[in-house]
Amino acid sequence: MSDPNPDLNTVQRWFQAVISHPDGVAGGIDAEAAQALMKLRRSELERLIRRSKNLSAEERLGIYANAYYARLLECLRESFPVLCKALGRELFDEFAFDYLQRFPSTSYTLSRLGDRFADFLEETRPDKGEGTVGWPDFLIDVARLEWLIEQVFDGPGVEGQGLLTAEMLGRMDAATFGGARIVPVVCLRLLAFKYPVNAYYTAARRTKEGEEAPEMPEAGAQYLALTRREFVVRRIELSAGQHALLETLMAGRTVNEAIAAAAERWTGDEAGFAAAVREWFRDGAAAGFFWRIEA
Amino acid sequence: MSAPRLGNPNLGLGVGLRTTHFRHILETNPAVDWFEIISENFMDSQGRPRHVLEQIAAKYPVVMHGVSLSIGSTDPLDFEYLRKLRDLARVVKPKWISDHLCWTGVASRNTHDLLPIPYNRQTLKHVIERVRIVSDFLERPLVLENPSTYVTFRHSTMDEWTFMSEMAEEADCGLLLDVNNVYVSSFNHDMDPLEFVENLPHRRIVQFHLAGHSNYTTHLIDTHDSRVIDPVWELYRLAHRLTGGVSTLLEWDASIPPFEVVHDEVKKAKHYMTEKLPGYRESVTTFDEGGREKAPHPLHHVVAEVE
Repeated sequence: MSDPNPDLNTVQRWFQAVISHPDGVAGGIDAEAAQALMKLRRSELERLIRRSKNLSAEERLGIYANAYYARLLECLRESFPVLCKALGRELFDEFAFDYLQRFPSTSYTLSRLGDRFADFLEETRPDKGEGTVGWPDFLIDVARLEWLIEQVFDGPGVEGQGLLTAEMLGRMDAATFGGARIVPVVCLRLLAFKYPVNAYYTAARRTKEGEEAPEMPEAGAQYLALTRREFVVRRIELSAGQHALLETLMAGRTVNEAIAAAAERWTGDEAGFAAAVREWFRDGAAAGFFWRIEA
Repeated sequence: MSAPRLGNPNLGLGVGLRTTHFRHILETNPAVDWFEIISENFMDSQGRPRHVLEQIAAKYPVVMHGVSLSIGSTDPLDFEYLRKLRDLARVVKPKWISDHLCWTGVASRNTHDLLPIPYNRQTLKHVIERVRIVSDFLERPLVLENPSTYVTFRHSTMDEWTFMSEMAEEADCGLLLDVNNVYVSSFNHDMDPLEFVENLPHRRIVQFHLAGHSNYTTHLIDTHDSRVIDPVWELYRLAHRLTGGVSTLLEWDASIPPFEVVHDEVKKAKHYMTEKLPGYRESVTTFDEGGREKAPHPLHHVVAEVE
């Protein structure tokens, strides 16, 4: 052993390296990271950590090592319950275990732990670069939905504030309305999926502990809005045109520009489009998407 | 000499505020004396947790209890974290702010565990300096809790209670005595829990914690998932006598039962506040042999509500 009385900083860096090592305490002590801090072999561990009447130093240190991953995996399972259900706990834990090694927590709050999980799944997908749509896309879609639900739930909202109503929009003359910018509520988020995961999410959440996960749906584009009313997250399925309209409005463009963007996604006739646009604004207002209008 | 409890009131018998009880508390206004919140669950919240907290803080005394201050870490203090903690305190107006005598991570990482420190002069000096800085920043004396620990260091040169006593006196801070943690650590380190409780500076104890733990026969783990066992209640009786009584709070963080069960558990403390009455004899010690070993708490994570 290099130093029988190491300084606090060395002890802490060594301790953290050992308890967070993927191979547990045994692997952690002998690993390069820990050895670079303290030349301490497993057989010498009791020179640093005392044994107790019942447990060896290594067994005692192992309590922290077991807890490190157990705690963080539990937290990720709670953040991504539907993804966990879809994968099964064992496979979910494998993905999450790899993720935690790549992105250990650097925040004071566990609510940031899953921030990069969907991106991690995207980066590590086995078919990366092949351009195919398949199982990994389904999992990534579910992960993105669950993560964003958490953000909307505890992020900024508009509870207690007056929002734009369909009647307010209807009172505006067409020219003024077309050149206006509609500011969406701060809690509105848009998602475009490769799989129809919204219904899957609903079905999976209804399954009880121990029940099989719902069957994975067929691939197919789905657009979804998330918002929050009365502190509860609401999911609203959108058409492609509706999604384009809202996306353009969220980018700070005018109503006319948003309608033009939606038109590019419209496959029906012109008369049908005009009716659809009116319906989208009416439905959007009813869903509480619009905060105010800047004419 | 400092005033008892650093001049803080004895709030009575409180319960740790958990999201699973939000609806019940708002709907029934239970006759609980006070609530303790996990600060990190509310510091960034702009949603329902914060909304509920503000309603509860308007009706009940509240204390803020943190799990990520990392007072013993050799990383620099996180002033962004401290600023958010102070901002929350300005809204919630807690009776005091507490955290743990531990470190949670180093090299900018957070293990989200309450990790043990060596009890020696070097650590003591380091912690005292940081407690003074934090207390100044928060504009009030910090209150620190003894954590449950599972290892001791060979280069520790003093007992945990000696370390806590000197820290409290030198840094002029308060102590949160977790009676269950005393029992867990004492079992794990072959110490005498009575000696621990007897040798603390009792006037500096601002609050007690009570909780259940898991018994693996060779060691105990602080899981906060069950009732308080009899030996811990007996330690509480001693601590109550030595301090003259301080605010007492029950923590229940896993397998959380209905609010009434948690509240009834902390109300058992009344049976241990007198020398004369026999203690309440309902709880039993259960052994958690076999199966997956549970993780020690704290686990502070808020689950979203979605339709």
